Amino acid sequence: MTLESILMTLPYITVVVLFSLGLFTVLFKKNLIKIIMGIALMQNGANLFLVSLAYRRGEYAPIFTSAESTDMVMPTAHALTLTSIVIGVATTALLLSFVIMIKRHYGSINTDDVRRCKE
Amino acid sequence: MSFDIMLHTPTFILAMPLLFAFLTILVSKFSKKFGEMTFLLGLLLTGFFVFLMSYRIFTDGGWIYTFGAEEVTTRNFFRITFIADGFAALATITIAITAIAAGIYSFGYLEKEMSSDKFYTLFLLTLGGVNGMVLTGDLFNLFVWFEVTSVASCALVAYENYRGRSVEAALKYMVLSTVGGLVVLFSIGLLYGQYGVLNYALLSGSISRTFLDKLALALLLVIFAMKASSVPMHMWAPDAYGEAPGPATPFIAITSLGSLFVLFRLLFGVFGVGIDTAAIGAILVILGVLSMFVGVTMALVQNDLKRLIAYLSVSQMGYMMMAVGVGLATLNTVEYQNFGELAMKGGLFHMINDGVYKALLFLSAVAVIHKTDLRSLNDLGGLAHKMPYTTMFFLVGALSIAGIPPMSGFSSKLLIYQSVYLYNPILAVIALVVSIITFAIMGKVFFNAFLGPDQGLTDGEVSNVMLSGMAILTAVVILFTLFPNLVVSEIVTPAIEALTGGVLP
Repeated sequence: MTLESILMTLPYITVVVLFSLGLFTVLFKKNLIKIIMGIALMQNGANLFLVSLAYRRGEYAPIFTSAESTDMVMPTAHALTLTSIVIGVATTALLLSFVIMIKRHYGSINTDDVRRCKE
Repeated sequence: MSFDIMLHTPTFILAMPLLFAFLTILVSKFSKKFGEMTFLLGLLLTGFFVFLMSYRIFTDGGWIYTFGAEEVTTRNFFRITFIADGFAALATITIAITAIAAGIYSFGYLEKEMSSDKFYTLFLLTLGGVNGMVLTGDLFNLFVWFEVTSVASCALVAYENYRGRSVEAALKYMVLSTVGGLVVLFSIGLLYGQYGVLNYALLSGSISRTFLDKLALALLLVIFAMKASSVPMHMWAPDAYGEAPGPATPFIAITSLGSLFVLFRLLFGVFGVGIDTAAIGAILVILGVLSMFVGVTMALVQNDLKRLIAYLSVSQMGYMMMAVGVGLATLNTVEYQNFGELAMKGGLFHMINDGVYKALLFLSAVAVIHKTDLRSLNDLGGLAHKMPYTTMFFLVGALSIAGIPPMSGFSSKLLIYQSVYLYNPILAVIALVVSIITFAIMGKVFFNAFLGPDQGLTDGEVSNVMLSGMAILTAVVILFTLFPNLVVSEIVTPAIEALTGGVLP
């Protein structure tokens, strides 16, 4: 295993670490803000995954220059990442606004106290 | 080239809800009355274009609607496709009927609300999102519409934000949806990294049985089953259905049904060629049986009217997953001719049936809650004296969900019993037992809430607008009851052909 191939897998290792850290936080933390932070970590993991996938060695960025169009990287994954970032902002904002309202109604943001639905 | 409006109907089905969502909130700034009319116009136009699209599909067959490049190549990235085929027609018809009825109903329900324009906007955005989900032909687009639906429907659940419980339910739903959306994105990445395409038709040609394909399939199956409120991922559903504002409740249920439509499209259209259909079909059957049984058992012990119907809805989802699972398990074998196709017919007919009668049940339950401010079955009673029409509508929905002959629920359930019996007799027995328990539950609710001496809980019937919303759904249920053969041959059969025939290129 060469140094280069190790370096090439580094982004994917980071993705796995970010995603599992986020999932762990969502599953096991009781503070609602921390749960949302976990979701944000997972979002970053997914975005990094897509960006790493889009990288192709020896090909050019999809900007129209003098490069042959067949040498350019497909920008689909980049477009997907940008969309995902925008969606991430929207969902995080909505989640945080729910937490604000929950704090107002329940006086707590601990998941143990926020369980009136089951009564 | 002339502008062929029929060809462009898929765009309008999406454009109308999105355009009118923001028009409604704009017009409402000037006049509440005009705002409501804009909302209604948006709904009716969407329904009209759904009708046009389905008409063309049923007469001339389906087509692929493309934005951008018309040619199919792997390096063509400026291309988004919508699939307008029999399956999309079935899905959009179900969604449109429920949306129009619930929309009309909401005028009466929100009469005294000050901020009803926000409700209408969120309602139309959810409608656009679900339509996009069932129409889209590539995974990128699917992710976007998935998130549009999640955000809009979660905000809709939290609409009555002066109650803590509705915000709590919305938060639960939103956390699950967001994590689900990210997992969908991750599995899209897995598929894109291998094949470099996101289009359903192109993907279905290249899917093989690699480990990453199986992983992506498993992740997508789990997430869409979760959104379809299948046991064991059903925890959010009773909360979200129970706490959503009245007229939106059937519509939150419809987003679940929309997810189930997408799941079937992915299983048959994208993964159907490359995977072990017998194994995946069996998994779908197991999920279905679990949903049926756990859903109905949980419904038995519920006291809250809306939560009870929510659990019944979980159990009805099980019927569809079981029936279509049998169809998938027998796909491309001799058995498919013998009973697999019949199971598919039953399953898909049950989807359109269930979408309609479940909406009717939810709306009539909401009418009771709206009028009496009571949700517990222990407190309700004798409502039939003052609310005769609501009682009648509830009875139609209850008989249909319990599958009592000759109601429409019976016709689809009969197809399911017949066909799954040949796959495995135990499944048919379970389905029958669940049906009988459902009947018992509906009987209990009906006797408890509507019959008995008048307890003076209400001063009369709900407003005519709300009644007309329920009347539309009742008319559709009765139509399905009278002409089940016509529905199966005209709407369900093209859907099955579209589903099993693979995605159009």
